[in-house]
Amino acid sequence: MILYETLILTVPEITNDESKQLEKQIDTVLQKHKGVKVSFDRWGKYKLAQPVNKNNYGVYFLARFEANQENLDILLADLSEYLTLKAANIVMRFMNTVLDPKKGLNYLKPSPLDESARDIDKFLKDNKMDGLIGTANKSSAPVAVNHATTEPEDDACCDHEEA
Amino acid sequence: MVKKIKLKVSSRLLKKKTRKSTTNLPKRCRFSGNPELEKEIDYKNVDFLRSFLTERGKILPARISGNTTKYQRLIAKEIKKARIMALLPYNAVTF
Repeated sequence: MILYETLILTVPEITNDESKQLEKQIDTVLQKHKGVKVSFDRWGKYKLAQPVNKNNYGVYFLARFEANQENLDILLADLSEYLTLKAANIVMRFMNTVLDPKKGLNYLKPSPLDESARDIDKFLKDNKMDGLIGTANKSSAPVAVNHATTEPEDDACCDHEEA
Repeated sequence: MVKKIKLKVSSRLLKKKTRKSTTNLPKRCRFSGNPELEKEIDYKNVDFLRSFLTERGKILPARISGNTTKYQRLIAKEIKKARIMALLPYNAVTF
């Protein structure tokens, strides 16, 4: 058995259902060719070093599996076929690499961007803001001027109706 | 009265001495004889690989990093893998 890993770069807008489907499809390919899944990790969202398919951000997945030497070629071909053709709308890039058994399964990865949803109250407190709507009114002070200008427009409308 | 004698040492000579002391430091490969550090050479370990890149994202030559040919080849390979997966830049002003 040879240890393999595939690093998959997907679009940043990938949903949870799509990521689950991706994992399922990889599982089915592995089962078809007597491969054994070791792990499937979601790294998270990252800012890419250079834009890929006009995307500045991307989500990484790391799948690790064991494969028999007999079915190795077919397995890798099927996997690449799925990732390049069937999942082409999600997957931007992927790479298969052989794992060195001496190195072990532990690895270091870059720290991802914060994806957790922010609390609005906390955000307002941090930025010393009263509220999003209140600040908008303050910034758009010339609104009163607009009100004054709307009156003739109403008249014009009325005139238009009369006409 | 004892006369004070000033010793004249030219600034050029001083510079020469300091230059010699800095340039003659022995360069050592940090990987040879360190099998645990060798394990860190991986295309996923981007923060570690960044130490072998210039500010513009180019691979540092072995004469500057001090790596032996074996490890320089290994590192270059892993950096190129990371570049393909957009983990490291090919060439950038800031990264």
